[in-house]
Amino acid sequence: MADYAPVDRAADNMVTFELNGRTVSAPAGTILADAAYAAGVEIPIFCYEPRLGPPIGACRMCLVEIEGMRGMQTACSTPVTQDMVVRTNSPAAKDAQDGVLELLLAQHPLDCPVCDKGGECPLQDRTFKFGPGKSRFIEPKRHFPKPIELSSRIALDRERCISCFRCVRFSQDVAQDGQLTMQERGARSEITTFTGDAYEARFSGNITDICPVGALTSIPYRFVARPWDITNTPSVCGSCPVGCNTELTTRDGELKRITGRDTPNFAVEEGWLCDKGRWGYDVAMSPSRLTTPIVREAVGDRSVSIEDGVAAAASLLTGRRVGILLGGTATLEEAGIALDLAANGTLANAVLARLGVASGNCAPLRAVTGAQLGDIDAADLVVIVGGDPAAQQPIVELRVRKARRFGARVISCGARPHALESLGEFTRTAPGRLGDAIAGLGDAIAQASRPVILWDEADLASDPGAIEALSGLLAASPHATQLMLGADVNGAGLSALGVPTTGLYEAIAADEIDALMCVHADPLEAAGSVAWQTALDGFGGSVIAIATYASTMTERADLVLPALAMWEQEGTLVSMTNRAQRLRPGAAGPAQAAAGWEILIAIAHHLGHPPAYRTAASAFGHTVASHPAFRGVTPDLIGTDGAVVGAWPTADTHPAAIVADADHLVLVATRDAFGDDMTARSHALRTAVSAPVLRMHPATAQALWLNDHDRAVLVSDAGNSTALSVRCDTRVAEGVIVGPLGAPGHPIEGALARNQHQALVRVERA
Amino acid sequence: MPILNSVYRHREAGHVLTDLAAYRAAGGFAAIEQSIGEMEPDDLLYVFHRSGLRGRGGAGFPMGRKASFLPKDAKLAKYVVCNADESEPGTFKDREIIEMNPFQLIEGMVLAGYAIGADRGYIYIRGEYEHQARVLDAALIAAREAGFLGDKILRSDFSYDITLYRGAGAYICGEETGLLESLEGKRGQPRLKPPFPAVAGLYSSPTLINNVETLSALPPIVTQGADWYAALGPEKSPGTKIFSISGHVVRPGNYEVVLGETTLRELIYEHAGGLREGRQVKAVWVGGSSVPVLGAAHLDTPLDYESLNAAGTFLGSGGCIVMDDSGCIVRATLRLASFYRHESCGKCTPCREGTNWMERILQRMVDGDGRMEDLELLESLFGRISGKVLCALADGAVAPVASAIKMFREDFVAAVTNGGTPRPAPMPVVEVR
Repeated sequence: MADYAPVDRAADNMVTFELNGRTVSAPAGTILADAAYAAGVEIPIFCYEPRLGPPIGACRMCLVEIEGMRGMQTACSTPVTQDMVVRTNSPAAKDAQDGVLELLLAQHPLDCPVCDKGGECPLQDRTFKFGPGKSRFIEPKRHFPKPIELSSRIALDRERCISCFRCVRFSQDVAQDGQLTMQERGARSEITTFTGDAYEARFSGNITDICPVGALTSIPYRFVARPWDITNTPSVCGSCPVGCNTELTTRDGELKRITGRDTPNFAVEEGWLCDKGRWGYDVAMSPSRLTTPIVREAVGDRSVSIEDGVAAAASLLTGRRVGILLGGTATLEEAGIALDLAANGTLANAVLARLGVASGNCAPLRAVTGAQLGDIDAADLVVIVGGDPAAQQPIVELRVRKARRFGARVISCGARPHALESLGEFTRTAPGRLGDAIAGLGDAIAQASRPVILWDEADLASDPGAIEALSGLLAASPHATQLMLGADVNGAGLSALGVPTTGLYEAIAADEIDALMCVHADPLEAAGSVAWQTALDGFGGSVIAIATYASTMTERADLVLPALAMWEQEGTLVSMTNRAQRLRPGAAGPAQAAAGWEILIAIAHHLGHPPAYRTAASAFGHTVASHPAFRGVTPDLIGTDGAVVGAWPTADTHPAAIVADADHLVLVATRDAFGDDMTARSHALRTAVSAPVLRMHPATAQALWLNDHDRAVLVSDAGNSTALSVRCDTRVAEGVIVGPLGAPGHPIEGALARNQHQALVRVERA
Repeated sequence: MPILNSVYRHREAGHVLTDLAAYRAAGGFAAIEQSIGEMEPDDLLYVFHRSGLRGRGGAGFPMGRKASFLPKDAKLAKYVVCNADESEPGTFKDREIIEMNPFQLIEGMVLAGYAIGADRGYIYIRGEYEHQARVLDAALIAAREAGFLGDKILRSDFSYDITLYRGAGAYICGEETGLLESLEGKRGQPRLKPPFPAVAGLYSSPTLINNVETLSALPPIVTQGADWYAALGPEKSPGTKIFSISGHVVRPGNYEVVLGETTLRELIYEHAGGLREGRQVKAVWVGGSSVPVLGAAHLDTPLDYESLNAAGTFLGSGGCIVMDDSGCIVRATLRLASFYRHESCGKCTPCREGTNWMERILQRMVDGDGRMEDLELLESLFGRISGKVLCALADGAVAPVASAIKMFREDFVAAVTNGGTPRPAPMPVVEVR
C-alpha cells in the first residue's frame, strides 16, 4: 500500500540535506522516510504508515545514521532539517537493517509458498532487498492453530504477525471503532478484539491492505490466486456517490478481489475502502444476476442471445414514441448515447429522464467553491448539515474523523442522528427547520479559517428555507468551501448532462409514450414507486429493461437485456464532488451480457443509424464532451485519478418543501450502505447487513401506541409503505421517522413522492 | 537504631513514621511550611538544582535539570508523577520508604508540584504493592485532612492534590512513558521520544516524573539546604543512596550509604554481614538486574555513579544482587534473560524478538544443546538489540547477558563442552539476623 506519503517537491519551505552523499531537498519537517523515498532512496519500513497518524517507531526497520545524533535514528519519526547528513547505506545502517529483518524473521514462518501474501508481501520484498540471506535462528518457531477467523471476512494467521500495530492503529485511530488490540506482551503478543468477538466494523477490510505480512488476509480471496496469476486494474467504486478509487484483481476473466490502490487518491478515499466497496462484488455472481436476454411472450419467457435481444429491442423501438429512463448508476456514456440517439433522429423525440433526487433548487449551494474530500483533512471546522454521511457515503466518516484527530471542530445539525455527531456539537432540528440551526452557525464559520460545509443533497432539497439560509451564510463566508453529500451514484454526472428527473412520468401518464426503455433504472423500486406502478398499469406500450440484477421491473419488462456490472464495464461516473472518474473492467461478465453503452450503440445500428462511435472512449468524446460541464474533459484527462468537471446546470425541478405539521410525521429516508438490497445479496457481507427498521423517538412511538419491534406502515399522499419493525431511538427528533431507503423489498419507497427522500406521513400499526 | 546523615526521616528517627503526628515530630512538613507561599517556585526549583540530586530510579538524570525542562507557561496543565512501580529485580528501597515513611514522599511531591506549578500529582504504584498502596492511601487522607494537600495548601494560593494509581504488574510500566500510557488507561508501552514527558507527558501535558527515593529526598534538601546535600559524597553525584542487598548474603536488606564513601566490599561484608562461611563472591549485579555484572575483582569499587561507570556497570536502582561461588552464572544469566523475555512489551522488534532468542539460546546451553558458535551468535545479537529500540528495557536485557559472557566466558564454554550445567543444589536456608 501507500507506504510513503507523497512529498510536495515544489513547496516554498524547502530544505536541503545530504542523503547517502547526495544533496536532496524536501519541505522542512517532511518525515525523512518520505523525503528519501521521493528522492529515490527506499528506507525500509513496516510499522510506518502515514495515513495512520503520527509514527510510533515500533518496528525499528527504518534505522538510519544521522550525523551528530547519538546511535541510530528511526527515519519514520525524524523530520528533515537543513544540512542534516543522513546515511542509509553505511555499514552501521546495513547492519541495523540486517539485524531487524533477522529478528523479524526469527519467529516468522517461512511459509511464503502457501501464504496468500506471497509475491506481494512487503516483508518478503524487503527481506530480499535489505535483509540477510540466511537465518541463524535454529529453535522451533511459534505455532498457533491456524487460521483464526478474526471476522467472517478476515483470517488471522497469528504466527505470521510481526506486531507492527498497523491494524490496531487503524481500528483505534482511523476508523475509531475501538475493537482491535494487542493481547499478551513481548514475543507472545497477538492481535485480537477487546471482547474476543468477531471484528465487525464497516471499514474492517482495510487492515488486510495495510498488513505488511500475511497475518491478516481476506477470506474471500484466500487461496484464490497468486500475484503472477492476476492482473490489477485501477477502477472506481460505483456503490455510492463518493467514488472511491479501487483496484480490481482479475484472474482468468473473473473478478477475485477489490483493494485500495497502491497509490491512493488522496483527494477522494485516501486508499481506504468500506467493506461494501471491497467485498460487495460477489453480488455479480449472486442468483439475482441477469445473465441472458429474456423475451417475455404470452407463452412464457424465452432466453435469447444478446444479438437477438438487441434486435428484438430495436424492433420494439422502431417507429415508437420512446421514453428512456436512466437509473442513478447509469454512466455518462450511457446517458450521453441516449441523449445523442434522441437528438440525432435515431429515436426521434425520445423523452429522457433519470431516477434520483431532484435538487435543482440546491444550485445556489453548488455555485460556491466546491471542496474535495481531501480538503476536509486541512479544515479547522467541519459542518455537517443534514444527512447521515457515515451510512450513506461511508468513506466520508474516515475523513471527518481524521480532521477531528487533527483538531478540527465538528458541528452537525439535522433531523436524524448519525455516527459523526459525537465528534462535536450537534443540533437536532425538526424537518423543514434546518434553516434555524444553520443561522446559528455564522459565528463558528466566521471564526474558522478553513471551514468546510458538508450538506446533504436530499435533505436540503426538501427544505428551501435551509438552502436560503445556507447559501446566505456561504455568501457571507468567502473562505468557506462546500461539499455536497450526494444521493445518487452518478446523480452529479446525469444532472451535468442535463437529464431531468421529470417529464417522462408525466408523458407516460399522458399516454404520449409507446415504448419505455429503462437503463439501470427500476421506477417500481424507487421513491414514488406507487405512482409509477399506477402509471405503468395503464401503460399499453412495451418495456425494455437494460439491467444487471433482477428487480420488479425486469420481472415485468417485455424484454430484458442483461447489462454488465460496474466491475465489468467501461464508463465514466461523476462523484458527488464533481469528480469524473473511469470505471474499468476487471471481469469479463456473463457471455450473453453487454455494457449498457454497447447495447445502446448496437440498438442504433439495428435502427439503421450507425453512430460515429464504437467504443466507450469515443462515445464519451462524441456525446459527453460536447456538454458545457465537460468542456475539455477527455478520457485521457480523467486518467486514473479523475478530473473535476464544471458546476451543474440548474435546469431541474424543485421538489416540494417538507415541513412538519400537527397532523403529520415526517419520513426521512436514509440509504444505509450496509442495509440496501445489494448488501443483502452479498454472501461476503452477510454478517455486516443492517436490518431495515423505522427509527423514531420513544415519545413519537408512545403517541402512536407503538413499542420496539411492533410493526408499522407509513401512509402518505404518495402511497403506503410495507410494514417495518419499529425501533425507539432517543436521538431521533420527535415527529420524525427515519426509514431505510433501498432496503430489500423497497419497503418505504411507496410512501415517498417521486424524486424526493422526505415525505409527510401518518403511521398505522401493521 | 538512628542513622546519622540519613536523608530519610524514618531512618534518622529509627522508627516507623506512618502516623502524621510522628512524622511532624520527626521534622516532617517543615519543608512545606518553609516553602509553600513563602518561596518563589523558581527559587525552590533552584534549590533542587543546586543540591545536585540525581534521579534514583536508575538513569541518574539530575532532578533539578529535569524539572527545569518543563515550560513555564502557566496556562498549561502540569503534572508531577511519582514512579513507584519499583519492579527492578532485587530492588525494594521504595517499598521501605512508602511503608515506613509515606509522608516524606507526599511532602516531596508537594514541593516538586509547587516548584513546577503543577495542578496535580499522581503516584503510580506497582500492583504487587498492595499493602504499601493502603499505607499511602491512608497517608494521603491524613495529609489532606491536615491541610498539606488539597485546596490552598497552608492558606497559600497553591492548590494541589495527589492521586494514587495502582498498576497491574508490568516491568515496562516502570519506564516513564510506559508508565504514562498505563496511567492514561492504555496498554503499557513506551512512547516515541521526543517529545519528552517534560514537554508532552501525561495527557500530553508537561509532566515531571521521578522515583520515590528522589522525591522523598526533597524535604530535607529544603530544610537543611542544598549545600548540605551537595556536600554529601562526591561533587558530581552527591547524596545518599539506599542499596537493597539480596542474594547470598547473611543480612539482606536496605542500607543507606553516602555515595562514594563506601565500597562494594564494605556494603557486602560490613553492612550485609558478608557471605556464608567459606564462600567467595562470584558475581554482583549492583544496580538491579539490568546492569552489567561485576565479579570479585570489582569489590573495591566505591559506590557512586562515576566509579561504578568506570568499573563497567551502573548504579541503577541500587538493587544489589550478590551471588557466591555456589551459584551457576549460566543459569543465573538464563534466569535474567527469561525475566526480560517475559517483560518485553513487544513494541520494538529487536527487544521483542531478541529477548526471546537470547533466552532460547541460553536455555539450550543450560540443557546441554549449546554450540560453540552460540557464543558468537549471542555476541552478534547484542548490538542489534541494545540501543536499537525505544526504551532502555532492551539495554537492560542485554547488559547482564553480554557482561556475563564477557566476564565468565569460561563458564559458558564449559556449559557447551560439558553438555549443560549441573543441576543446582537445593538453596540452603539462610538465617537472617
